[in-house]
Amino acid sequence: MTVYIARRLLEGFVTLVALSFVVFGSVHLTGDPARFLLPISNDHDEAVYEAQKKAYGLDKPFIIQYANFLYKAVQLDFGNSFTARRPVREILLERIPATVHLALSGMVLAIVIGVPLGIISAVKRDTILDRVCKTFAIFGMAAPQFWVAIMLIIVLAGYLDLLPAYGRGDTQGWLPEWSQIPDMIRHLILPAFVLALAIIAAIMRLARSAMLEVLDSDYVKFAQVKGMSDRVVIWKHAARNALIPVITFGGISLAGLLNGSVVVEVVFAWPGVGLMLLEGVLSNNFPQVEGAIMVSGAAYILTALIVDIMYGYADPRVRPN
Amino acid sequence: MASDNAILVADDRTPASLRRKIQEARLPWIPLAILAIILFCAIFANLVSPHDPGEKDVFNKLQPPFQSAEHILGTDRLGKDMLSRLIYGARTMLQVTAPSMVVAILAGTVVGLVSGYSGRWVDSVLMRITDAVLGFPSILVALLIVTYLGTGVWNVMIAIAATQWARFARMIRGEVLAIRDRDFVVLAQIYGVSSGMIVWRHLFPNVINTLMVLTSVSVGQVILLEASLSFLGLGLRPGDPAWGILVAEGREFLTQAWWIALFPGILITVVVMAFNFFGDWLRDYLDPRLRRAG
Repeated sequence: MTVYIARRLLEGFVTLVALSFVVFGSVHLTGDPARFLLPISNDHDEAVYEAQKKAYGLDKPFIIQYANFLYKAVQLDFGNSFTARRPVREILLERIPATVHLALSGMVLAIVIGVPLGIISAVKRDTILDRVCKTFAIFGMAAPQFWVAIMLIIVLAGYLDLLPAYGRGDTQGWLPEWSQIPDMIRHLILPAFVLALAIIAAIMRLARSAMLEVLDSDYVKFAQVKGMSDRVVIWKHAARNALIPVITFGGISLAGLLNGSVVVEVVFAWPGVGLMLLEGVLSNNFPQVEGAIMVSGAAYILTALIVDIMYGYADPRVRPN
Repeated sequence: MASDNAILVADDRTPASLRRKIQEARLPWIPLAILAIILFCAIFANLVSPHDPGEKDVFNKLQPPFQSAEHILGTDRLGKDMLSRLIYGARTMLQVTAPSMVVAILAGTVVGLVSGYSGRWVDSVLMRITDAVLGFPSILVALLIVTYLGTGVWNVMIAIAATQWARFARMIRGEVLAIRDRDFVVLAQIYGVSSGMIVWRHLFPNVINTLMVLTSVSVGQVILLEASLSFLGLGLRPGDPAWGILVAEGREFLTQAWWIALFPGILITVVVMAFNFFGDWLRDYLDPRLRRAG
């Protein structure tokens, strides 16, 4: 197990270094990095240009610059955002909690909705209920997130005026005040649901097939023959075993959720890292893009790593040797 | 001549047995019909659509749908006909996704074949890169690419191809690993057939089924990715007829003009669903072994 963890850690580290290299290298690939990284309005003032280049260390050899970039990236120091005119680090620290809140809510919602639907679908196999669940899953996988989001906003926020259409409300940072919690939840419902939709479909399918397999097994049949009530057999004997792969998948999808939220954050004007990334892309704000991509990428790698290691504990078969 | 072939023809080419074959295949008629209609609209957009998608009917701005025969699906804020824009949107979708899919499939197949057949360090290096691309969400990779290349249709196409090839490479490599030690390949090697020839004549034909299945399963995902990128404003310019852009435009008129966002979204959903159904069918039809892989 130690070997397995060490190997996975090393792999994660290598991927992270590769990511940083790609992010850093692509600025250089595009030609003059100074043009991208320095907020200069006119290139004609050569003296200012050279001075700034020197101040940012852009006159040094590539490898030194890369080491410098890494050293700073570890401290979340990506320079100043061109548009906001303040450190990217500050913006990141404001945005990260919002994205984590959204991703966690999305995952919880996906499991809370997806698992029971999948189990019911398996138990009531080939009934109307099963068909409705299946249709919902097919729709969830095919409908574009941004469109579902807009339709929900039109109906629930626009016409019915039940939920807020955008933003995070008054919530800031990691933990809101007690009095703010209802407001926070109201703002979270729509974006979290849209984020969860595609995974709900996948979790449902997974729970359904896992459940069908378990329901077919000898020990479940034995419990039924023994005369135990359906409810006990389904929820205590079968569901518990069927859920292991489902929960693992939920964990893995959290990694995707942390990043898949770009579109959702944009539609709901959710002040997270994804929105920050798109704002950066559209305004050629390279320090901001670098910061957002490095943080999203690192979060992705780290989550996948933790899930893999936990999975290694739960299921010895995935460990090598 | 005709009588010579009569027996053969009667075997599986007569209309009756062809019909039976089609019946046995249980073709997904509804998805196929939907895809055929969309494809037709995409190719003959200029003939099918009632108006030019850029034509502005200034007297009928933001007209709701089903109110006049002139603009059945209503108009947008500049008085452009929605139906025409949707029809041209099908063409845009085809123009963006088809070439990027072709590039992704070609690149993925080549990498998969080379990686699987050559093995050793070539395989290790190529698969590490493949895993790295697969490991990150497509939208993040696409955003990174668009950041450095700039926005625009071409760069969106590059971004799509750059994120999609890896799945093909992984799958094809797996297939090649499964067949490269089979007798017909080993015999070809013993006979001294060149590596290139073995890959092309012996390995490639054996992965075509997988390739077709994976393509049809991936198309839906690619359409969604393309729509998301257009929606985010990274592809075509605002005002161009693309479904993702239409939804983005509709977002500005949420309660006044719900139809602008509604119709293109329905179209995307229906097309992706049709492709997913068709992909599932093709997978089951061509290779029941793959049923669980998707």
